[in-house]
Amino acid sequence: MTTDHDTSPTRVPTLEHIVERGQTWERMAARYHVTHPAPPWKSSLDAMCDALDEEGAALPLLTRRDDEDRMSREVYTALPYPENQLVALAHSLVTRNVIDEEELARRMEAVRARLDAAGA
Amino acid sequence: MADTDRDGSGHGTHEHAGTAPVVEEVTDFEVLEIALRELAIEKGLFTADDHRRYTEHVEQLEPAAGSRFVARAWLDPDFKRLALDDAIAASREMGIDWLHPTGFGTPSDFTAFELLEDTPTVHHVIVCTLCSCYPRPMLGMSPEWYRTPNYRRRIVRWPRQVLAEFGLYLPEDVEVRVEDSNSKHRFMVLPVRPDGTEGWSEEQLAEIVTRDCLIGVALPRPGVTSTASRPVHPAIRPVHGD
Repeated sequence: MTTDHDTSPTRVPTLEHIVERGQTWERMAARYHVTHPAPPWKSSLDAMCDALDEEGAALPLLTRRDDEDRMSREVYTALPYPENQLVALAHSLVTRNVIDEEELARRMEAVRARLDAAGA
Repeated sequence: MADTDRDGSGHGTHEHAGTAPVVEEVTDFEVLEIALRELAIEKGLFTADDHRRYTEHVEQLEPAAGSRFVARAWLDPDFKRLALDDAIAASREMGIDWLHPTGFGTPSDFTAFELLEDTPTVHHVIVCTLCSCYPRPMLGMSPEWYRTPNYRRRIVRWPRQVLAEFGLYLPEDVEVRVEDSNSKHRFMVLPVRPDGTEGWSEEQLAEIVTRDCLIGVALPRPGVTSTASRPVHPAIRPVHGD
């Protein structure tokens, strides 16, 4: 795994679908009159980045950060921060073959079903 | 206090005035973050406990009052008795007066505060299923995850599953009690003093009583402190290339 291989041209339809639906924190917070500036998953995302940097070797720190900069600037330009940080991380993990896109899509369905069931 | 809800079950009887609204909807980004994290954990990139500790670090909370409170209760039997009988009076002895808002608390924070004593066979964990009620005078601001519908809805239904997501696996013979906070009634966990802390000072003990131990999603352990530098060690299950 190299740090200079550019994976930004690779399309990830699962992530594009999320971008199209546009459930950004800015929009959702306004709908529910929430004034907190950051979404509740932000600190968990930061912890995930720290854990990947410190505990694993699958996505080296510099690769992750370079990808984040490049994806935010060139691919996920419609997303605000920190949504672009999260989606860039997902893009890196998928296009660098750490996580399979189909596996991610299936897991997202399962997670959504679990969370929706808890709210039923 | 005529309108005090002493049994803690009266969410329908009062409004959560002064508490922040939350997004009551599951969003794609929340789902994506959870899905990525679960897959990364399953692939051995890090553990759930690693992630919990990094999150605790990221949020930089300093539940110093609660930590000192528990350390003193472990060392001083008279204080422990007072803390279990009248936690507000015990708080005053620690210099925290729930009757005078500190800037953290809401006006309703002071009404009732109770310490939940763990035993070797009973483990407590706190939640606010309706919003984000939290013993702020003792613990500071609540963690981000404490305010999410994900935690609030699921901890009461599947506590062992949710605790496992924090890296806390309890034996089957340990009963789990989930205490639901509300705007009148706040709780904090008094964990069991861990082995290996014999002869420790109050200051040493307070260092291992981290915020998550006081909420009940972690257990105090010698050597694990909220002020320690981030854990850095080689991956146990490294992933090489494709």
